[in-house]
Amino acid sequence: MVRPAGSGRAGGETTKQRGPREGAATRPASRGARAERLAPYVLVAPAVLIIVLLRLWPLVLGVNFSFTGDGELNGTPVGLSNYLELAADPLFHTSLRNVGLLVLLLPVAVAIPGLLATFIYLRVPGHRVYRSVYFFPAVLSPVIVGAIFNLMLGFDGPLNAALGAIGVGPVDWLGDPGISMFTVVGVHVWATFGMALVVFLAGFSTLDTSLLDAARVDGASLRQVIWHVIIPSLTRTIQFVFVTTMIGMLTSMFGLLFVMTSGGPEGSTYLPEYYIWHQQGQMNRPALASAASTVLFVVMLVVGLLQITLLRRTGRQD
Amino acid sequence: MKQRALWSAVMVAGLTVAGCGSAARTESPSGDSQQKQQKLVVWDWKSSEPTAAAYIEKAKADFAKRHPGVTVEFVAQPFDQYYTLLGTAIQSNKGPDVMLFNGGGQIRDRVDALFPLDQYVAGDKSRLAGWDAFSKDGKIYAAPVTLQGHPIYYNKALYEKAGLDPANPPKTWDEFAGDCATIKKATGASCFALGNKEGFGIQFFMSGLGSGILTPQEYDDWIGGKRDWTSPHVKRIFELWKDANDKGLNNKGANSTAMFTDIFRVFETGKAAHIIGLMSDIGHWKDFGEFLPPDKIGVMQAPVVADGATPSLPYDGGIGYAVAKWTKDPALAADLVRSLTSTDALTAFYSKAGAIASDTTIDVSQAGPAVAAIVSEIKTGKPALHVALSSKTLDLMGRLSQQLLSGSTTVDKAVEQLAASDRAG
Repeated sequence: MVRPAGSGRAGGETTKQRGPREGAATRPASRGARAERLAPYVLVAPAVLIIVLLRLWPLVLGVNFSFTGDGELNGTPVGLSNYLELAADPLFHTSLRNVGLLVLLLPVAVAIPGLLATFIYLRVPGHRVYRSVYFFPAVLSPVIVGAIFNLMLGFDGPLNAALGAIGVGPVDWLGDPGISMFTVVGVHVWATFGMALVVFLAGFSTLDTSLLDAARVDGASLRQVIWHVIIPSLTRTIQFVFVTTMIGMLTSMFGLLFVMTSGGPEGSTYLPEYYIWHQQGQMNRPALASAASTVLFVVMLVVGLLQITLLRRTGRQD
Repeated sequence: MKQRALWSAVMVAGLTVAGCGSAARTESPSGDSQQKQQKLVVWDWKSSEPTAAAYIEKAKADFAKRHPGVTVEFVAQPFDQYYTLLGTAIQSNKGPDVMLFNGGGQIRDRVDALFPLDQYVAGDKSRLAGWDAFSKDGKIYAAPVTLQGHPIYYNKALYEKAGLDPANPPKTWDEFAGDCATIKKATGASCFALGNKEGFGIQFFMSGLGSGILTPQEYDDWIGGKRDWTSPHVKRIFELWKDANDKGLNNKGANSTAMFTDIFRVFETGKAAHIIGLMSDIGHWKDFGEFLPPDKIGVMQAPVVADGATPSLPYDGGIGYAVAKWTKDPALAADLVRSLTSTDALTAFYSKAGAIASDTTIDVSQAGPAVAAIVSEIKTGKPALHVALSSKTLDLMGRLSQQLLSGSTTVDKAVEQLAASDRAG
C-alpha cells in the first residue's frame, strides 16, 4: 500500500460518500483526522510509559525515600538528616574524594592505550601479537580479574616475591591505604584499556598517511611525529575515548573493589557505589543509601552534562 | 491506520490493567485466610549446601509428621546478597514466612520485622544454648541452630617441633609470648595467623582474648550494655592488638590478607602456630582437618593478660531461624522453627556440616580433642564481646583496627571514636 503523502483513508471515504449527502461527508473526515492526530501519541505511549513507570517514577520514589528515616524511624519524614549525616561521614567524603582521584587519573588511563595504539600503528616488531594480546583482558569479568590480581598482589604473592628477588622490599599493594586505590585503578586500566585501544586503532585507520610521510621526509623525530601530527589528527578519537573511559571508571569499578579490597584498607578505596551498597546491604540503612544515591545521581548528572557539552563542541569543530 | 492506533490503544490499556491487577492481587488477602495456610516459604543461605542436605531432610520430615498438609519451600539465597534481599522484603512487608539470621547485630537491627517466639519455644529453652544472640529487650526472635564462637586453636605439631608440651598450652600472656618466640626460632612460624582485610580480625581478637583482659564484672557489664570505654582494661585490648603486631607476632601483610579464604590456609599449612577461629560454618576444627589431623589441633583458653581476669570461651548463638511478622499463621511458622531445631535435625547438621550445634544433648565424643575441649567449655562460656556492639561500631572498629596496624592512628584516638559510636547506638 503505497500512497502519496497527504492522501489518506479520509480522502477515500469522502470520494465514496459524494452525492446527495454532501454535507455529512465532513464528519467522518474529521474523525479520521483526529485519529491521525492521536496515533503518534498512542504509538509512543508504551515507550513513554515504560520510561516513566520504570525509570522516572522509581527515581522520584528513591529521592522521596531519602528524606525518611531508617530502623525505628522507617517511613517517617526526617527532612535533611540523612544528607547531614552524609556530610559528616568521613567515609562518604573519602568516596567522593576517590571520584575526584579517578577524574585526575583519567589522562593516564587514556594515554596508555593511546601510546600503545601508536606503537602498533607504527608497526613495532610483533605488533600483530600485541594487538590481540592487549584486547584479551577486556573480555574477562571484573570478578575474575580481581581474583587473579588478588593472588598476584598478595603480600606473599608472586609479584612481591619477584621484587624480593631483585632486592626491593615487599609492597603491601592492597593493604597500604596510600597505595591500594592506585593498585585498583591500575588493575581496572589493565582490564579495560583494550577497548580504548581498538577505538584508537580505528581512529588511526582514518589518519592521512601522506602527513606522516611528509613529517618523516622533513626529518621529524618520533616524539615530534606523535606530538605534531598524530595527536592533532586524532582529536575527536581522543575526546571520545576520554568520555567513554570516564564513564567506565565511574560506573564499573564496583566489581573490582568488591573482590580486591572491600573498600579497605582503612576505608581508603570506597567509591560512592560501594558506599551505597554497604549502607543498604550491610548496615541496614536503606534511606541513608538512598540519600547517597541521590548525591551520586547529581554528581553523575553534572559529569554527564559536561561530557555532552564536550562532545557537542567536538562535533561543531568539523 | 485507525485500526493500528486502536490496537496499540488496546494493548496499552491491557498492559496497564494487567500491571495494576497483579499489584492489587498481592495486597488483598486471597480470600481463604480463614482456611489453614498450605505453604511456608523459608529463606536461608544454607539449604543449598550439600553438607546441610541431611539436616534439611530431617527437619522437613519432623515438620511433615506434625503438619502433613503443609508444604515447605526452602529458598537458598547467596550469602553476599542475603541481607540486601531480606532488606527489600522487609521494606515491602512481603516475603518468606521463616528466615535464617546471624545472631547479634544482624537480627537485632531487624526485629521490627519479626514475630516474638517466646511462647512457642519455651519448651526448647533448656535444651538449646545461645538464645541471647537472638533476643532483644527480653524477647526471643529466633531459635538458635548453631553456636558460633572464637576459640584459640593451636598447632600441636609446631609445639612439639619447638620442644614445648602441646598438652600444656601457656596460661598467661608472658608465657604465651615466650612460647611464640621459641616456636618462631625453631620453626619459623609466626605466632598468630591474622587476616584483617575486611576488618574482621579485630573482632576475633577482641572476643578471643578479651576474657583474659577484662575482669568478670567488667565483662558482664560490657555484655549488659554498660561499656566503660575509658577503663584501662578496655584500652588494653587495643594496645595488645597493636603491640602484638609491632612485636611481629602476626603474619606479614595482615591488612591485605582475607579472613575466610586466605588466613586459615596460613594456619593449616603450619605457617602460624595459633589462630583465633570459629566454631561453626567455616574456619573451625573440621575445616582445618583437611591439612591438620584432628589430634594435632588443640584449643586453648585465652592467656591471662591482666590480673583478675577469668578466661572463658566466647560464644553466642551462631545462626537461627526467625518468623516474619507478616506471616499468616505465626504458630505454624514457629512450629517449623521448632522442627528446624529438633535434636535429630541438629545432630545431622553437627556431623555433616561440622558445626557446633546449639543442642547441648548431642554426643560429640567422636569428633576429636578440639571439639571435646570446646564443648566442655560451653557451660562456663560467655557471649563474645564484639557481638554486643552495633554493626555500625563494628564497621568503624574494622577500619580503626587497620589504622592501628599501619600506625596511622593511636590507641587513644581509636578508643575515643569507638566510644562515641557506641554511645550513639
